[in-house]
Amino acid sequence: MSDPATHAIEHHEPVTSTGIPSKKILMWAFLGSDCMFFGTLISTHLIYRKISATVGSTTVDIRNIFDIELTSFSTFILLASSLFMALAVSAIHKGNLKSTRWMLLGTIIFGSIFLACQVYEFTHFVTHEGHELTLSHYQDQDHVFGSTFYVLTGTHGTHVAIGVFWLLGWLVYSFTGKMSTADAMDIECCGLYWHFVDIVWIIIFPVVYLMEYAF
Amino acid sequence: MSGHAEDPVLEESKRFFTFFNLSMILVAITGIEIVIIYVETFEGSTIIGILFATSILKFVGVVWWFMHLRWDKFLNTVLFLMGLVIALATYFAVIYMADTHPVIAEEDFSVNPLEGKWEAGKDYVKGDYVLQDDSYFEANFDHKAPSSFSAQVDSGKGLSTAWTEVDGVPHLFKWKVSHGDLIEINSNDPSNEFFHQYEPAEKENIEGTKIALLKKEATKEKFRIRIRSEAYLTVWPEDPNQ
Repeated sequence: MSDPATHAIEHHEPVTSTGIPSKKILMWAFLGSDCMFFGTLISTHLIYRKISATVGSTTVDIRNIFDIELTSFSTFILLASSLFMALAVSAIHKGNLKSTRWMLLGTIIFGSIFLACQVYEFTHFVTHEGHELTLSHYQDQDHVFGSTFYVLTGTHGTHVAIGVFWLLGWLVYSFTGKMSTADAMDIECCGLYWHFVDIVWIIIFPVVYLMEYAF
Repeated sequence: MSGHAEDPVLEESKRFFTFFNLSMILVAITGIEIVIIYVETFEGSTIIGILFATSILKFVGVVWWFMHLRWDKFLNTVLFLMGLVIALATYFAVIYMADTHPVIAEEDFSVNPLEGKWEAGKDYVKGDYVLQDDSYFEANFDHKAPSSFSAQVDSGKGLSTAWTEVDGVPHLFKWKVSHGDLIEINSNDPSNEFFHQYEPAEKENIEGTKIALLKKEATKEKFRIRIRSEAYLTVWPEDPNQ
């Protein structure tokens, strides 16, 4: 069976007892641990969402606070960035540096658009009058929902930002003339990270945003 | 996993269409999710079910094809699944353990002096209090009240002291709380001490009563009830100094 991993093993990566490059195992182990990290954040958010459904006698109308059109748009953008990333990995395995460069650029641009949407969303929540989701208070009363929302989506946004910088590094590196198929495994690991960020959003989007409209 | 049945470049080219098709499917599924929310024709549980199913589909799609698990060695899948399983276990454990503040309404906590007067012919049990001539008496044993009040009552073995005058005012404490595993009531007045703490047998919809002898008459404002659940503590009335 031919696969990107096998190419790398055969041509560029040292042979390991598992038959899998150590970098790749390390990345999968990291992603597994990151699953646990986001698992706790999502659980915490859901619990505090349940507990803090009301502030005093006032129900917090999250629907009027969220901008679902914007979030849907950024979800499509992130999904599209995953396609670019997959194509970038595929291109580097084929040794097509020009295509790799364009696909990396596409992923970076779409990732940046996603981040811009999130920055706009946070700014809108904090500054728009009557649409506050502040860190620990809502309408001068203790309210944890805002905190868990910011921590969860903010942590995800941080992951996206790290991914964008990582990809940016590869894009710059591609212009040095040193990039070759020998770097395929490194870019594939970067791709794994990027796709992971995508699947985390696949969970966050319905759980945090869409589920608000279910009740 | 070893061996190249086909040209690797050709294989990668084929994957382009796989990735593109998958991407379109993911976009379509996300579109369905949003449409379901907008049409507002489904019930909440149906929406959650659909969102759950579509999220799993998208999740598997990305992990299986975009992240190459479809073509990678099984060990990678195991590594990722270990984290995922622990994450899911954490999620369900936390949801299961989810705790909320115990709730007690103002009208669900009361402290009132007992004002039951002695009644002829009534059956009294040991520990009952009666108000007689502005004094409180406590029953020493079970008996049926004679026609007129007397401390000495026939117990069946001759006259015995049925009532003992007490120094204080018996009060009835009543409370009803949503849930909790430890309930504590204590007096805020050092000159009128009272403390009662117990672990209720039922952990939800708890109702309790207690009759206690206080040095002087008091109302509920002189007391504080604290209800502890696993993670929360509700204090009524709230302490302004905390």
